[in-house]
Amino acid sequence: MILVYDGSFENFLNLVYEVYYKKLKPTQILKQKPLTLLVDEIYVCEKREDEALKVYEAIKKHFSKQNFEKILNIFMCDEIAFEMDLLNFIILGFKSQESLQDINERFVFKLNSYEKQLFSNVHRMTGFLRFVELEDGALYAKLESKFNLLYFLGKHFSKRFNNQTYYIHDIERSLVFIHSREFTGVRELSSFELPTLSEDEEKFQKLWQKFFKSVTIESRKNEKLQRNVVPLLYRTYMNEFIT
Amino acid sequence: MKKDIYTKMEILSDSAKYDVSCSSSGSDSNYKTGELGDTHKSGICHTFTADGRCVSLLKVLLTNYCLYDCAYCINRVSNDIPRAAFSPRELADITINFYKRNYIEGLFLSSGIIESEDHTTELMLRVLKILRQEYRFNGYIHVKLIPGASAELIEEVTKLASRVSSNIELPSNKSLALLAPNKTKESILQPLKLARDITLERDNKPIAMSTQLIVGASPESDFDILKLSSVLYDKALLKRVYYSAYIPVNETKNLPALTTTPPLLREHRLYQADWLLRFYGFSYDEILSSDMPNLDESVDPKTLWALNNLHLFPIEINKASKEELIRIPGIGVRSAFKIIKARRFRRLKLEDLSALKISVKRARYFILCDGKFQKEVPLYRDEIHTALTAPKTMKDKRQTQMNLFDVSGITGEL
Repeated sequence: MILVYDGSFENFLNLVYEVYYKKLKPTQILKQKPLTLLVDEIYVCEKREDEALKVYEAIKKHFSKQNFEKILNIFMCDEIAFEMDLLNFIILGFKSQESLQDINERFVFKLNSYEKQLFSNVHRMTGFLRFVELEDGALYAKLESKFNLLYFLGKHFSKRFNNQTYYIHDIERSLVFIHSREFTGVRELSSFELPTLSEDEEKFQKLWQKFFKSVTIESRKNEKLQRNVVPLLYRTYMNEFIT
Repeated sequence: MKKDIYTKMEILSDSAKYDVSCSSSGSDSNYKTGELGDTHKSGICHTFTADGRCVSLLKVLLTNYCLYDCAYCINRVSNDIPRAAFSPRELADITINFYKRNYIEGLFLSSGIIESEDHTTELMLRVLKILRQEYRFNGYIHVKLIPGASAELIEEVTKLASRVSSNIELPSNKSLALLAPNKTKESILQPLKLARDITLERDNKPIAMSTQLIVGASPESDFDILKLSSVLYDKALLKRVYYSAYIPVNETKNLPALTTTPPLLREHRLYQADWLLRFYGFSYDEILSSDMPNLDESVDPKTLWALNNLHLFPIEINKASKEELIRIPGIGVRSAFKIIKARRFRRLKLEDLSALKISVKRARYFILCDGKFQKEVPLYRDEIHTALTAPKTMKDKRQTQMNLFDVSGITGEL
């Protein structure tokens, strides 16, 4: 049986509910109804807030803090098909929290490695994200990633840019993290036009590019190593790589 | 002639680039509400240059004018190179603006010696004060201490910096006398000792310090170098020793010729050995001895140690302690933790290790998995060494044959 849900955390909780109460045996979980004709039976999980809440409370009660956070983190890996593994994880977790430590279990190991990928992406982005200064002194950064990093990055920068107003804009997901005197948190963004840059912006970009070029040691040149440590994927908005 | 700010940046970052240290790690988060800047425990790399080195800090000299005449240094007084200087305000402003754009974790401040050691340190202090007191900047600041500066000035620096360093550069007094006539080992260690004693008394814990040793400029062996590092770590003087493959920048009769390529592989092996000292519980005389004073470039230092201590192997991974596990070649701290976690639930076989994504490329010759030992290669030094360094595929083999007369294939140089 193929289960279909809308990709949201709430709707996944509905899916867990249905699996328990209707004793469903899914072979696959999809975010969208498949377009091609399949032999398998398809079941679409509907949104019911009260049932989702019930599952949420049950998970919060039975799962350790670490395992509960893992479930939330996995939802930030939104381009990975993690659903079957996560469902198995939740089912096993209700039986025994201790068994969730067994990394010999495939789905436990896989979820751990998704989480590891997520955190390594967060860590890289804390270094590779680039802000520009706007006319009013606020800072603005564009973000593109296979993972939903906004929450983690917002938290990271709210410490170091505590007295600054800044925006981190996730282009693909149309989300923005805002940190200002009035509001700190994630908002959806329908349309967006980049405001005017500050007068000094060009000067500091140019200084950075000069610096980047002149700290390179020619006799140690190793561009393959450079590609391993800053994959091309990350370079889109890093101005030292834009010529 | 007055230079514009872009030219200054070019000159002063170019002059600072031979300093290897760029780490921003080791400081706990210290942000304050309503202020700018924070440090990150593990450090953050903000970009990597074309030579593959991490850029974490804005690494520049305040000035590259210098009174000294050290043979290995690009900025020595007798060199005819373009000179420049930042004003303290200029440099502080660039730091803040780079930081706000997330280009850097902070500043790595070093300087040539102008007028006197104290005068130079006072100029550096001015940068620190603008950043810390005026801009309330809490990010990372690394300061290279000036050997010979007064205790009062060093004390002020340690109050404001996250980490300080002083580069020993040459691992013995003899080499120093030959190549850096203005310095002695004592004069270089003096600011570090002062900084340690001052901060130990004031804050009950010494400020984090590091140094750099040049590899390949003078005749010291790997054994000499590791011994020196080990002594410095033991005295709680240093948190980190950096090794820098010597890159010839000056033509001098006492140094390797300008055309010499930097010994990058040797540098790499020294870093691996240094890791064994700091994180794997090894002592320097376990790894090397005066009879065997140099590391083997064809295998990593832990494998070298294991091959010389085969009587301790094979190790049963289902029983070994964490300390024993991390002494197995190819098993790092992370893999050891995975093994310990996984074996609580079942007795691990070789294929279980692969499933846990633990590399057994090197480890397989040294371990027992649930009582089983791999059969292909017997537990003898030469057999395992050959198996570990043999070319892996047909393609590799063909290449080695074709390059038979190319020395690099034999010596393992990069």
